[in-house]
Parts: sequence; structure tokens; C-alpha cells
Amino acid sequence: MKTRNGVRRCAMSLLLVGLLASAAPALALSAQQPGSQTEAAREGYVPVKDLPPAEQLPAAPLVLGAYALIWVGVLVYVWSISRRLASVDRELVALRRMVDTRR
Amino acid sequence: MRKSFVVWLGVAAVMFVVAPILVVRAPYESTMGLVQKIFYYHAPLGMMMFRSAFVSGIAAGIFIFNRRAAADRVSLAAAEITVLFGSLVLITGPMWARKAWGVWWQWDARLTSSLLLWMIFVAYLLVRRYGGPGSDKLSAAVALFGMANVPFVYVSVNVWRTLHPKTSVVPTLQPGMREVFWFCVAAFAVLYGVLLALRVRLATQQAEVERLYLELDDQSELS
Repeated sequence: MKTRNGVRRCAMSLLLVGLLASAAPALALSAQQPGSQTEAAREGYVPVKDLPPAEQLPAAPLVLGAYALIWVGVLVYVWSISRRLASVDRELVALRRMVDTRR
Repeated sequence: MRKSFVVWLGVAAVMFVVAPILVVRAPYESTMGLVQKIFYYHAPLGMMMFRSAFVSGIAAGIFIFNRRAAADRVSLAAAEITVLFGSLVLITGPMWARKAWGVWWQWDARLTSSLLLWMIFVAYLLVRRYGGPGSDKLSAAVALFGMANVPFVYVSVNVWRTLHPKTSVVPTLQPGMREVFWFCVAAFAVLYGVLLALRVRLATQQAEVERLYLELDDQSELS
């Protein structure tokens, strides 16, 4: 059981490290945002990309926020499962011991 | 924990390290620019939500007709992951919409039906948690209902007039975007498999705990 827990902890750490490491390249996204284009507004429809910078909504915080939320969501879920698994495993060991002693 | 499971977990971790690098290198979509890059995670999450709803519904059907406890555990695990992935889809979608449409939310057919699908599986978990005895059968029926909703969510963008991009976007992706998108789909598919296996294992262990408590009760009555 101890070895199994160790392997599980190792596997969880591996996933954690992987997901966290993947956050670093995403930061580069913000640096890649294309320069704001300031064409004069045409009559009627004006494409969003042609709006003056002051009126444009920056995309980088939205993109980074979306990616961060996904990683946080998945990590929290993995952490929650591993915690519940560890607790159930402990309960199982105790119960098996009790059942064996009563036999 | 089985060795193959750890291997798949490692594969998922590596894929999630590589995926953002590919996303950064993928070409910019001409009209949306940077914000389009949310699509590489948002759409695969949506696909996995559909897949999970199907897994939950099919397993629920097997449980209803064959009374297999293992199928019930798979259905529960898949329902929980459907809610997780659905939550992420419903959060990341509006983040894209705010930039692309100018609003966080629009009550159009795709968004509303996706919210409905998510709520059905939240209802599944609530029934399961607070329904008391017999809630397993009741929740299985809810999962079947949720699965039946998936095709409607999928075709909603083609049948009704919506702001949401149509299903034709994925097959017509430009080279450079296409490979990155399918890589992300594969990464989420592996992650989904790993999460499902983990959650099913938890449900199996919980069932074993319940069985042991019953055995202890029987022993106390006999002695």
C-alpha cells in the first residue's frame, strides 16, 4: 500500500509539474499580440481591429486567463481526487484489519 | 496504481507541456487575432464534454438494463468530469466572446443548450449526493437524458441562427492551425482517459469500503 501511495504521489507530481511547466510558454502569448492598427474609421461598420487603441479590449489577459483557469480547474480536480483516494485507501486498510481480526 | 496508468499520466503531462508551445507558434487568425487562441483549448474541452456525456449516458443505460455496478461507477465518474469540462467550456467561451462579440454571454441556441447540458449533469450529481436510496437508478435516467441532449447541442449552430461559429470551422481549419488543434484534442483525450480511470478507481474503492462496513455489521450480528 505504501509503495502504491508513493507511485500515486509521484504520478500526481508528474502531472502537476507538466501542467505548471506548460504555463510558462503561454506567457509568451502576451508578447505576441499584434500591434494595434489605427486606421481611420470608415462610414458605418468599423472592424474591431481598426478601432483606436483606447477603444480596443486587450486580448492577452483574456487568453492567459482562459488558459490559467483551465489548468487551475484540472489541477484542483486532480488534487481533489488524489485526496479522496488517499482517504478511502486509509479507510480500506483500517476496515480490512478490523474484518480480519474479527474473523 | 497500475504502471500503465502512470505512463498515461506522464504522456498527458508531456502533451500539456508541448501544447502551449504549439499554440504560441500557430498562425494568427486574420480577424480575431490573439483571442482566437482560446479556441485551441476551448473547442477540445467541448468535444471531451460531449464524449464524457456519451460515456456517462451509455454506462447509465448498461446499469439500468443489466444492473452492473461497474457501469454505474463509470457513469458517475464520467458525469463528474462532464461537469468539470462543461464548467471550463462555459467559462472560457465567454472570455473569447467578450473580445470577439463584445458581450460575455448571448442567449443563443448553442450557448443556452450547452448550459442546459451542464445543468443536467449538475442535477445528476445532486441527485446522486442527496437523493438517498435508489438515487443510482434515478441519476442513471438523468444521464440518459443528458446524453440525448448532446446531438442537439452539436447541431444547434447549424440549425438555428447563432453567433457561435458553426461546426464547419474545424474541418476547414488552415494548415498550421489544424495540426495544433488536433494535437490539443489528443492531449485532452488522454487527460480525459486518465481522469476517468482515476475517478472510476475512487468509486471502486468507495464501493469496497461500503462492502466491508456491511461485512462488519454481519459479523457483529453473528457474534
